[in-house]
Amino acid sequence: MSKSFDVELINVQKKFGTNVVVDDFNLQIEQGECVSFLGPSGCGKTTTLNMIAGFLEPDRGDLLIKGKRMNGTPSNKRDLGMVFQTYSLFPHMTIFENVAYGLKLRKVSKAETKRRVDKVLDLVKLPHVAERYPKQLSGGQRQRIAIARALVTEPTLLLLDEPLSNLDAKLREELREEIKRLQRDIGVTTIFVTHDQEEALYMSNRIVVLDHGKVEQIGTPWDNNRPASEFVHTFIGKSNRLTGVVERVLDHTLELKTDTGISLRAVRRNDCFAAGDKVSIYMRPESIALHVEQRHSAATNVAKGTVKLTSFLGAYSECEIDIGQTVLTVRLQSVEQDGWLSPGMHVYTEWKPEDVFVFARKENGR
Amino acid sequence: MSRKFSPLGIIAFIVVLFVISPLLVVIPTSLTSVKYLSFPPIGFSLQWYSKIWDRPEFVDSFLFSLELAALTAVIATLVGTMSGLALHKYRFRGSGTVNGLLLSPLTVPALIIGIAVLLFFTRIGLAGTFTGLLLAHVLISVPYVVRLVLTGLSSFDYTLERAAYIMGAKPLRVFIDITLPILKPAVMSGMIFAFLTSFDNVTVSLFLVSPTTTTLPLAIFSHMQESLDPLVASISALVILLSLVFIIILERVYGLDRLFGSNSHSH
Amino acid sequence: MSESRRRKMRTAVLLLAPAVAVLLGVFVLPMLYILLMSFQNKQEHISLVNYATLVQDPYYLQVLWRTIKLSLLTVLACLVFGYPVAMYMAQASSKMRGIVTFLIIAPHLVSVVIRNFGWVILLGEKGLINNVLMQAGLIDKPLRLMYNELGVVIGLTDSFMVYMVLAIATSMYQIDVSLYKAAGILGAGKLRTFLNVVVPMTLPGMLAGSTLVFSLSMSSFVTLALMGGTSVKVLPVIAYEKIMTELNWQLGASISFLLLFSTVALVTLFTRLVETKRYKEVFSS
Repeated sequence: MSKSFDVELINVQKKFGTNVVVDDFNLQIEQGECVSFLGPSGCGKTTTLNMIAGFLEPDRGDLLIKGKRMNGTPSNKRDLGMVFQTYSLFPHMTIFENVAYGLKLRKVSKAETKRRVDKVLDLVKLPHVAERYPKQLSGGQRQRIAIARALVTEPTLLLLDEPLSNLDAKLREELREEIKRLQRDIGVTTIFVTHDQEEALYMSNRIVVLDHGKVEQIGTPWDNNRPASEFVHTFIGKSNRLTGVVERVLDHTLELKTDTGISLRAVRRNDCFAAGDKVSIYMRPESIALHVEQRHSAATNVAKGTVKLTSFLGAYSECEIDIGQTVLTVRLQSVEQDGWLSPGMHVYTEWKPEDVFVFARKENGR
Repeated sequence: MSRKFSPLGIIAFIVVLFVISPLLVVIPTSLTSVKYLSFPPIGFSLQWYSKIWDRPEFVDSFLFSLELAALTAVIATLVGTMSGLALHKYRFRGSGTVNGLLLSPLTVPALIIGIAVLLFFTRIGLAGTFTGLLLAHVLISVPYVVRLVLTGLSSFDYTLERAAYIMGAKPLRVFIDITLPILKPAVMSGMIFAFLTSFDNVTVSLFLVSPTTTTLPLAIFSHMQESLDPLVASISALVILLSLVFIIILERVYGLDRLFGSNSHSH
Repeated sequence: MSESRRRKMRTAVLLLAPAVAVLLGVFVLPMLYILLMSFQNKQEHISLVNYATLVQDPYYLQVLWRTIKLSLLTVLACLVFGYPVAMYMAQASSKMRGIVTFLIIAPHLVSVVIRNFGWVILLGEKGLINNVLMQAGLIDKPLRLMYNELGVVIGLTDSFMVYMVLAIATSMYQIDVSLYKAAGILGAGKLRTFLNVVVPMTLPGMLAGSTLVFSLSMSSFVTLALMGGTSVKVLPVIAYEKIMTELNWQLGASISFLLLFSTVALVTLFTRLVETKRYKEVFSS
C-alpha cells in the first residue's frame, strides 16, 4: 500500500457472454517500466490492454492508474498514449495535424504546439515529413509518426498494441530498437502487447505471459529460463520436447528415462513427482552441446546422434540431430560451429541437469 | 487484336447513342426558330429561352423544385447517415431486419407509394401540404443515403476513432473531426443523389402537389400533355445542364459505377 | 458489459428513430391503409367487391395482360441490346469501360420527363427518324412511331437499359479469363465458347437484370402517359385514373395491389423457372 504504482490491476476479470477472456489478472507496474503482454492470439492480452485503454470495462476487479481507480472513466480522460497495429493515422490530416491533434484538444497554444510537434518528430527522426499525408509515407514511417503522436501529449502511460506486426522483418528490428531507446530515454511507463517472444524479451523489463485469459507467469526476461509452466516453456522460444517417465526421485535431482530409452537427470524445482509419473521433458536448443567424442563416461545426459541438417541463421546456426526416433534441435553460435559439422556426421549431444525442465504430462497429452 | 472497330464496339456505340440521344437532341431543338418541334431544328433563335420568363409557372416550379430538393437532400442525408451509423457501428440483434426495412421503399413501385401516401395523408390532413410532399420525397431518398453510408462505413477503420478518443477527444469531437471527414465522399454522394432523386421525381409528386404549387418535372409533364412546343426544350436544356453539374460532381466524388451496384434497386 | 451494451443500444435507437418514424408514417402505415381500403366498398364496409370487379370484368384482365406484354417486350429489348454492351465493357480497356459506364448511367440521373421529351422530338412526325426516312424517299408520309405500344417500349427500354447492362456486366466481370482459355484449349470455337461458357456464366446477371427491368416496367406511369398517349392503357394508368379522376379510391387501391402481386408472382415464377437445380448448385456458394 505504501508504494505507489503507475498501473495496478487487481483481480481483473472480463467475460464475453459466458466466455471468460481475462481471469483474475493481477499486475503492478512501476514508473518507467516497460511491461510486455505476451501470448498467442485469443490469450486475453489485447482484451486486457483494451480495458486499460478504456475501450472495455472490466466485469470485476479494479484498474488503477497513478493510484486512481479508473473503472468507468472514459478513454479520453485517462491521459494515455496508444499505438495501434494498423498505424491508425488520420488519413485526411497531414502528419503535423495528426501529431498536433492531441495538443489541439488540450488547447495548447500554436507556438507551443509547433515546438512540441517538431520535438517529437525529431525524436522519431522524421522532422521533414510534417506537411505530408499518411498515404505518402511508408509503413515504418507511419508507425514512427504514430509513436510520435502518442508521445506528444506526454501521457502517463504508453500502450503499444502489436505495433510491429504489420512491418517486415528488417524494419521490425530497426523500429523495436528505436522504441526501446525512446522508451528508456523518455522514461514513459509502457505496456507492449505482442505475440513475438523475441520482441518481448528485447523490449521489456518484465514479461507477462498469458494463456486462455490466465496469467501464466510474470517475470523478467531472465526468468524465462525458469518457466513456471509447461505452457510458458513451449510458448517462450523453441524447445525440444521428449516424453518419458520418472525413474527415481532424489533430494535434488530427478532421474528420468525417455520413451526411446535415453537416461536423463534433471535438477528438481518446486515439483512433487513420484516414480512412475509420466512427464514431458524440455531442453532449449541453446543449452545442448555437441561433441565429436564422448567426454564423460557417464551414460546420463548424453545421447549419440547423427547430424541431419545444419542451417546458418546469421549470428547462430541450427542443427538437427537424430538421436534415434527423436530429432533434437541444437543451436550453436556461428563462430562455434565454423563449418565443422556436416550432415551424416556422428556426434554426441550433451546437456546439464539444470537445463532440463520437467512437467507432469496430462493424460490426454499434448 | 485491335478492338477499335470490333463488331461488339459498334453495337455498344449504337446502344450508348440510343441512351443519350434523347438528351442530345433537346439542346439543338431549343434553339429552333419555328413554333413546332422538329429535328433537325429549323433556323436559329434564343426566343424559347426568353419565353421561359413569360411563363411564371415554370420559373416558380423551378424554384420550388430546387427548394424541395435541397430540403429533401439535407433531411435525407441527416436521417440516412444517422441510420447508417446505427446499423453499422452499433450493430445489434435485429439490425439486419431494420436495414432491410429501411431499404424496403425501393422495392415498392413509386406509383404505389404515391397512391398510398396520398390516400393516407388525405385521411390525416397532410395531403396537398408542403410537409406531406417533403416527407414523401425524404422517404424515397433515405434508402439511397443509407446504402451509400453503409458502403462507406464498410471500409472504415474504427481504430481511427479509438485513436482520437484516447488522445482525449470527446465522442462528438471524434465524430466531427474523424468519422465525418473520412465518410465525406459517401455522405456527399448520398446528398447529391437524394437531391437528384427529389429534383427528378414525377411519380410520387404527381399525387402530392397542391393545386397552387407544383414541381418543375410535373409542370413539364402537364405542359407536354397539352401542347408540344420548343418551350419545353429550352427548359429541359437548362435542367440537363444543371443535372450535368451534379452528375460530374458525383462522378468525381464517388464514381457513378459505384453508385449503381448492379442489384441496386431490387432486394 | 450489459451497461455498455445498453448504452450502445440506446444510441442506436436514437439514431434510427427519425428514419423509422418516416418509414412508419410515410410508408408502412399508408401501405396498410390502402391494403385495408382495397377490401372496402364505397361505403367503407369490408367487402371483396373491388377484387371481384377486377376478376370478373374482362377489361381489367386485358389491361393486366397488356401491362405484362409491354414489360416482357421491354425486358427482351433490354436483353438483346444490353448484352453486347455488357460484353463490350467486360473486354474493353478500363478507360473505355469507364466512359461507357458513365454514358450509360449519367442520362439516368436526368428526369424521365425530359428523356421522354427527347424521344418525342426524335419520334415525332417531324422528328429525326421520319425526316431521314422521308428524305431518303423510303416513305411518303410520316410513320406513327409513338403514342402507341412501340413508343412505350422504346421509352421504357431507354429508361431501364442501365440496369440490365450493369447487372450483366457485373457477372461478366466475374468470369475468370482462364475459362475462355480453357474453353479454347478444349477446342471450342468462338461461338461455342460464347454459348457454352459465357452465356451460362452470365445467367445470374441476366436474371437479376430481367427481373429488375420487368418490375420497373410493370409500374411505369410517366413514360406510358407521355409516349403511350391515351390509347395504351396499362394498370398504372388506370390506377391513376380511378384515383385522380374518378375518385374511386377503393378500386384504385385494389388495382395497386393487383399490380404489386402480379409483379411479385411473375418475378417469382420466372426466377423459379431459371433457377433450376443445376443453376443453384453452380451459383449458390
